[in-house]
This record gives sequence, structure tokens and C-alpha cells, in this order.
Amino acid sequence: MRLGSALWIALAGFGAAVPFFGSTYLMGVVFQVAMWIALAQSWSMLSATTGYLSLGHAVFYGVGAYVCVLLTGIIPFEFAILAAAGSAALFAALIGLPVLRVRGPYFVILTYGLSELVRHVVMRIESALGSFGRMIFDVPAQEVLLWWMVGLAVLATLGAYAIRHSRFGAGLAAIREDEVAAQTIGVPVTRLKLLAFIASAAIPGAVGGLALLRTSYFEPAQAFDPVISFTIVTMALVGGTDSVRGPILGAMGFALLSELLWSTLPQLYMIVLGLTLIVFVLFVPRGLSGLVGRIGGAR
Amino acid sequence: MDTLLSGQLLFAALVSGSLYALVALGLNLVYGTLRLLNIAHGDLVMIGAYTAFWMFSLFAVPPLVSLVLAAALCALLGWAVYAGLFRRMLAKPDLAKRVEANSLILFYGISVILQNLTALAFSSTSRGYQYLDTVITWQGISMTGNRLLSLGVAATICFGTLLFLRFHLFGWGLRAVIERREAAQVVGVNLNRVQLLTICGGFAVAGMAGVLVSMTEQITPFMGFPFTIVAFVVIIIGGLGNIGAGILAGFCLGLVETFGIALTSPGYRSILIYGLFVGVLMVRPEGIFTKAVRS
Repeated sequence: MRLGSALWIALAGFGAAVPFFGSTYLMGVVFQVAMWIALAQSWSMLSATTGYLSLGHAVFYGVGAYVCVLLTGIIPFEFAILAAAGSAALFAALIGLPVLRVRGPYFVILTYGLSELVRHVVMRIESALGSFGRMIFDVPAQEVLLWWMVGLAVLATLGAYAIRHSRFGAGLAAIREDEVAAQTIGVPVTRLKLLAFIASAAIPGAVGGLALLRTSYFEPAQAFDPVISFTIVTMALVGGTDSVRGPILGAMGFALLSELLWSTLPQLYMIVLGLTLIVFVLFVPRGLSGLVGRIGGAR
Repeated sequence: MDTLLSGQLLFAALVSGSLYALVALGLNLVYGTLRLLNIAHGDLVMIGAYTAFWMFSLFAVPPLVSLVLAAALCALLGWAVYAGLFRRMLAKPDLAKRVEANSLILFYGISVILQNLTALAFSSTSRGYQYLDTVITWQGISMTGNRLLSLGVAATICFGTLLFLRFHLFGWGLRAVIERREAAQVVGVNLNRVQLLTICGGFAVAGMAGVLVSMTEQITPFMGFPFTIVAFVVIIIGGLGNIGAGILAGFCLGLVETFGIALTSPGYRSILIYGLFVGVLMVRPEGIFTKAVRS
């Protein structure tokens, strides 16, 4: 495990150092990988720990992007990113109680429906305002954005690790195993679920803001794209939800696959993606993380 | 106000409502008996639509004949999916324990594969054909022949299924599995057989819905997902696994959608549907009609 930690630190260092020696292309890849690690880790703070499977994390990403585009030019971008994270967390806090009352398959489709509802409402607002996509000028340098994103990936990973190894995480695991029993022995299930929901929403908000600054273009249909939610879930599950390294491995694996195939053969990429998912569910239930653990001999 | 009271809107509502009811029926059967979140359901509609399109364009086979063909094709797919993937998954305890996550991911994989294989084979361009598109006017209501046919076929399949579930022995077994899975096995229902036949039946119904859709709308490889969503909205309103209420909910959604759009504007369609969906799930996750139908 000590070797493992050193490896992850080296990986983060590599990501942060890429602007000094790498091409623009490599910087783009690292940005994407860091982004998906941050998103998948944040998702796992709620969904891997409690078993409440969110299929609507695109909504936090979208809210972050929207807040960021509204604030850019008014306040410095660092504050816009923080505001994006704050608004996503606030949004989670507002909808958390009614949403988290719903369990199992209902929770999965409710989070999806909610994300789509917000997407269509924002699209409606934007078209009522007569805006069809907003351009932003004067964005920070690409390497600054990359450092922020790598920072978020590290933060999300440390956060997910801290949650798993705390009393809080133990409470969440109790909810996953048997919520009624957990409540009976005095675990404050509602409060814990709400806190986990808020924690898992904040970083995706910041990620949405950063991704927006990188593309410098906001379009609600894209910012709230449900494919984001699906990608997060598949990366986390293929990576493995049993440990913190799972989402990292999942994000890196998918990034590699998409770099190899997406640009040349998009349809083939999607077919390979679909087959990969099926193979993993049936034959590698503990994900890439479990696979690595077995090869390395460690747990 | 006059347009609101005319039969024209009511007809439109019934046509789309019957289609929603039909698409949701298939999803509801599969969810009810297998408890699997089939997000590839709409892609079966797409496959049915492509079957009808190619049979009509290449061999001039009328869509009514394609109904049988699409049903058979989708049922075969259902068999393959069940025997190849889900029996394997449900048999392993550690996989069956996380059935939501696993079925979601499996069906997402299947959905992605179906969409992209179709796109690879037939390109992503939208296609359509013209069939029975003459306008018939009756009591001041203008209807095209294909919409009338679509309404008739969809309603027939829905009510036929209901009758089957009520009066056929297999239908009783199916309902028993939906309501009390373990108890049904105890009294001698062959769970495996019921599940296999239901997934075939549910997929076949979706394929037939696709044939109906192709008569009136343009089709593309990626047309399926909106149907998946509508089907989920319908069965959430009716209550997951509640077959009769689901059909009623389908017609209701058609009415709410058509009249809602007439009162506001088409731009509000998605907000209306998702708003209803989220509202029902938060307030009454067990469905609006659940009690009314059981009593």
C-alpha cells in the first residue's frame, strides 16, 4: 500500500508537470483524465458508500458551469469556481431531503429525471433570454486550468479516502448494508445521507466551472448532458467501487480507450465500450481495482 | 378555447397515449417480473421501426405484417439477453445482490451496442416511408389512416395483454411473480420459465410499438432513448410492476402532454414530462393509481 501511495503521488505530480514538457494534445488528455477522476471520486462519496446510485450527477456539473458563466467577468475566475462548487452543494442541500427519501431503482431514475428537468428548465430560461449559447472571453491560461483540475482530482481522491476511513464513512456503509437496521441502532441516516449528497455535489460543480472555462463556450444542452452522468457511473463501476483507486483506474482506462478509438472510429468505440461494460459486470464484478489487487497479491 | 374542446386534440392525445401505453407495457412487464432497470427498452422500439422500414422499402411488405416480424426479432433478442446475460447474473449471489447497479450497466451496454451497430450498418441519417397517409375526415376531425391504424393496433395489444393476464393460467403465474416472487415459486410457478417468456414478450411488445412509430415518424438509430424515458414516466405514474394502471397512465400522459402543449407551447413538453416524473416520484413513489386499481 505504501508503494501504491507513492505511485499515486507520482501520477498527480506527472499531471501537474505536463505543461512544462508536454504537447497541447497531452495537456488535453491529462485535463480530461483529471476531470473524470474528480467526477467519479465525487460520485463514489455518495453512491459507492451508501449504495444510493446517482444517475444525475450531470446536474451538479451543469449548475457549476452555469454559475461560472454568469459570474465570469464580474469576479476573478478563482472565486467563480468556488461559487460554482458552492452553488452545486447548495443545490444538493435543497433537493437532498425529498430526493434521498426515495430508494433503490426509484432513486436511480429520480436523479436522472431531476437532472433532465433542470437541463430543460435552464434551456428554456436561456432561450427566453434570447441567448443561444454564451461565449466567454478572457479565460485563464490553459496550464492554470490544468493545475486546478489536477488539484480537484487530488482533492476528490483524498476526500473519498477520508470519508471511507472515518466514522462518517462507517455510518454510510451501515446505510448501504441495511438502512432500517442502521436507523434502529441509532445511526442518524437522514443527516449522513444528506451530508454525503452535499459532499459528492461540490467538486462536480467546480469541475463544471473549469470545463466551461476551458471550452469558453456555454450551451445548456451540453453542460447538463446526461451522457456525463452515464460516463461517471460506468467509469466508477468498471474501476471498482470497493476502494478509492477504483475510480482512478476506471477514468484512466476509459480515457485510454477513447484516445485510441474515439477520433478514428466513434461507432466502434461505443460498441467496444458496451461490450466492456457487459464483460465487466459479468466477469470482473470487483472492477479494475479488484483485478489489480489480485495481480499484486494485495487486497 | 374552441380548439381545446374539439375532438382533434383528443384524437392526437389518444394516438400518442396509446403508443406510450404500449411502450410502457413492455417495460413494466420486464421490470415487474425481473426487477431489472431496462434502459435499452427504447432501442427495441428502434429495432422494430427499422424492421418495418426495411421490409416496406425493400419488399413492399405492409407494416401490419412487419408487426409479427418485429415481435419475433425482438423476442429472439430477449431470449438471447436473458439466457446469455441475466440468468448468469441472477445466478451469482454477489452479482444479484447489486442488481440495480448491475442491470443498469448491462442494459446501458446493450443499448450502446444496439444503437451503434444500427448506425454502423444503416448510417445515422433519418429515414421514413409513406403508408396510409391519406386524410380521413369524420365529425370534423381530420385523421390520417396510419394514425388511426396505430391507435387501433396499440389499443388492441394493450387490452389483449390485460385479458391474457386476467384469464390465462400463464397470465396468473406472471401476476403472481410480480406480486409475491417467493410465494409464487412455493405454489409451483416455474420462475425461470415465466421470466424468460416475459422478457421475450416485453421485448416483442416494444418491437411492435416501433413498427407503429415508423408509420408516422422519421426514424434514426438514436430515436430509442426518448421512448425509454417516456416509458419510465408512464410506469412511475402507474406504479412499477402494476400492468393495468400502467396502461391507464399511458393514456393519461398522452392527454396531459397534448393538452398541456396546446395550452402553453411545444417548448414546454420536456419540462412538463420531467416535472410530472420528478413530482410523482418525490410525492408518491409507489405510483398515483396503485390504490385505485387494487381495490
